[in-house]
Amino acid sequence: MSVSLFEMIVFPGFIFLGVMGMLFEYLDRIVYARLQNRKGPPWFQPFADFIKMGSKEDIIPREADSGMFVLSPLLAVTAVVVSAFYIPMWGGKALFSFFGDAVVVIYLLTIPTVAYFFAGWYSTSLYSTVGAVRTLTQLFAYEVPLFLVILAPGILANTWSLSGMAEFYSQNPLLCVTNVVGFMVAIVALQGKLERTPFDIPEAKTEIVGGTFTEYSGRLLAFLKLTHSVKTVVVAALVSAVFLPFGVEIGGVLGFAIFIVKIAVIVCILSAFKAALARIRIEQMVDFCWRYVAPAAIFQLLISMVLGALTGCGV
Amino acid sequence: MANEQAIQQELQEKFPYFGEKITISSERRIWAEVASSNFFEAFDYIVKKMNFSMLCLIIGLDSGDNLEFIYNLSRYDGTMLNLKTFVPKTNPVHKTVTADYFPGAELYERELVDCFGARIEGLPEGNRYPLPDTWPEGQYPLRKDWTPDMLDKQPEGK
Amino acid sequence: MDLNNVVKIPIGPQHPCLKEPACFTVSLNGERLAGLDLRLGYNHRGIEKAAESRTYIQNIYLIERVCGICSHSHPSCYIQCVEQIAGLEVPARGRYLRSLIGELERVHSHLLWLGVAAYEIGFETLLMYSWRDREVVMDILAMLTGNRVNYAANVIGGANRDITEDHKKDILKAVDVLEERTKYYIEVATEEATLIARLSNVGYISLDDVKLMGTAGPTARASGLDYDVRRDDPYAAYKDIPFKVITDTHCDVYGRALVRVGELMESYKMIRHIIQNIPDGPIAVKAPRKIPAGEAISRYEAPRGEDVHYVRSNGTDKPERVRVRAPTMVNLLSVPKMLEGDNLADVPITIAAIDPCFSCTDRAIRVSDLDGGNAKVMTWNETRRFGIDWYRKNGIDFTDLNKRLAGRMR
Repeated sequence: MSVSLFEMIVFPGFIFLGVMGMLFEYLDRIVYARLQNRKGPPWFQPFADFIKMGSKEDIIPREADSGMFVLSPLLAVTAVVVSAFYIPMWGGKALFSFFGDAVVVIYLLTIPTVAYFFAGWYSTSLYSTVGAVRTLTQLFAYEVPLFLVILAPGILANTWSLSGMAEFYSQNPLLCVTNVVGFMVAIVALQGKLERTPFDIPEAKTEIVGGTFTEYSGRLLAFLKLTHSVKTVVVAALVSAVFLPFGVEIGGVLGFAIFIVKIAVIVCILSAFKAALARIRIEQMVDFCWRYVAPAAIFQLLISMVLGALTGCGV
Repeated sequence: MANEQAIQQELQEKFPYFGEKITISSERRIWAEVASSNFFEAFDYIVKKMNFSMLCLIIGLDSGDNLEFIYNLSRYDGTMLNLKTFVPKTNPVHKTVTADYFPGAELYERELVDCFGARIEGLPEGNRYPLPDTWPEGQYPLRKDWTPDMLDKQPEGK
Repeated sequence: MDLNNVVKIPIGPQHPCLKEPACFTVSLNGERLAGLDLRLGYNHRGIEKAAESRTYIQNIYLIERVCGICSHSHPSCYIQCVEQIAGLEVPARGRYLRSLIGELERVHSHLLWLGVAAYEIGFETLLMYSWRDREVVMDILAMLTGNRVNYAANVIGGANRDITEDHKKDILKAVDVLEERTKYYIEVATEEATLIARLSNVGYISLDDVKLMGTAGPTARASGLDYDVRRDDPYAAYKDIPFKVITDTHCDVYGRALVRVGELMESYKMIRHIIQNIPDGPIAVKAPRKIPAGEAISRYEAPRGEDVHYVRSNGTDKPERVRVRAPTMVNLLSVPKMLEGDNLADVPITIAAIDPCFSCTDRAIRVSDLDGGNAKVMTWNETRRFGIDWYRKNGIDFTDLNKRLAGRMR
């Protein structure tokens, strides 16, 4: 299980994901703008933003813990890129897969959130501290439902490997229908994970300025933004692999096109939610997640278990 | 104008010292003048008994040797009674109305303190308004003898 | 309360949720509010002092700049005082024109508020929509007065510009468009779940507290106070225009939003009534340059609440004293009351819900070096000099450029 430098840095590693992330960031921004009756940015805007921010000076607050301040964004971006290696995108299998990689991916995708927390906490600014605490509070609300619904399809597929799940469902596409509830729960939880409206509470700018990232500037901020874009693609890829595994076995250009379309659909759904909803309060968010989203996730788990017992293909 | 005249009469009967000092300038506008020693007696009656339960504004003026305060009291039907009182500049002390009547008058009174140098007794401690914390002592910008260059002449670092 | 758990967060003087500087220092216990400390006056520009050294005509333009949004309300209110002292009777057409611009201003201010409120709760789509529609009324105002804000639509003794038949048609057309859009916003406000969740039971203030604090305008009417200067102390043409005072009993931010959209609908009706019934005749009477000695106080229902202006004249062409009260001055003091027991997340929207406008005198600049701690007062000219020298030291010199420009101008 070794990985070449090329794979790590260029494809399907850092650069590929970065470019994808920015393209989908553009898609998100243009869809959001069109829904708001605005013109929206040109396609190269996210790249231009990245280059411009990268050329600016990094300012590290005197009070901040400079080690953690610099390390946190790098930790976040690394975790996201690594988790992408385990997610099947097209052409059947992921770069790596083993029994139980779904659990690894979910944990890897939690690391950026924790890194955001460290970033905010070690900035020591009041706004970022409040933002950091909110990030963690929110994590406890959406993480459990997300975990449950990502694992639920695995019960039916009798594997906790993402590639295995994708393979199973692409062979039995009708069974996907049983995971509709899970898909909806995943979409809701994604908005929490990606800190998007209505769950953009940790970076609510009218309340706590920039939230977690208030003190960040220059290259570090550029990396944090990039992490955010990449995270959007990776998480969307995860959800599409688990819930929309149509055509995952097709390789080549066609497979890639199918993959792009699936991610685009998920990003568009997220954009529509962002445009149609107001930001809610943190306690409303926690309340909503535990009262409606978590029970729905458990319901999905029950469906999968009952179906598994009936068809005999479950664990 | 019957309504306004009734108010005028009631006040004249109740407080003889108003006398000719209570006038009606137009519809819904009554002006009254009272010495600062009698101010709270009249104010209390007007606010509590005559239903002038809204304080629109406290206006401060510099009228020569005195500071003049005008309390604009209003009823919810639009009738407005402007109660004037004077305090000498040498000892510009007046009691607050925030404690017993209108807590919302805090900013008006702070403005009297900052801009006219009035001393309002009973006004709770708090942030200044509207001048900055670093504003020099003894400069009251809305007094007539104050000119902007008095500020520029301040010694540095004070 | 355990003071160790209290975190103090400054909201302002510069903060994304405030459009103008003010400082609300919020004490937080977790996400709950434990206290609020207000510091105002960052925007004090000395307008009242300045007004004493300018003529009555100049003051119209000065007072207009008290506030960018209420830039018809303030001069109208000031002019009413002057007219009252001088004993001028404004012709009917002039009064109608004042009301017309006043109502158009209310429409633009309320649409602006709707957008700002939506932005404060992170609902940017509503911001974009309502500000797009606000352009319709801004265009009408620009057409009628030549400006989007600071209309200069008043002179002492009447109105500054007349409207034509073409204008009337355009206004009616615009009002139709706006009415339809506003109906849509009412639909959004009553159906959109996250919006209602964020606005309901936030910033609660009871009718008794409203009366005690002297809260004004839509903020007070949303707590059930049936009071509107336009009806209770009519000015301009409001005596002749039928309208309903919108009140609500929610007592919270949601109520304030409903009152404002309700007032939008009323304003459309009033604008139509004005257009259909505006009498012919002169728009203004001639005013003397010197105003006889006297004093007057006038009130005006600005979009944000009650404006009160006081003018004392001394027989010359300059006033003795001008006093301005903007509605925000009273409304702000009720904010700590509204926020009792609320969340940090409710602070921006509750502040926004009174539609604050911090306008008021400052001309000294005090530069203090935070590291060294030595404060230094700089006059306006010193500051200007300092700026020029700083740029010159960094290799940027505008002297030649200025000279060349001046030469070309000649």
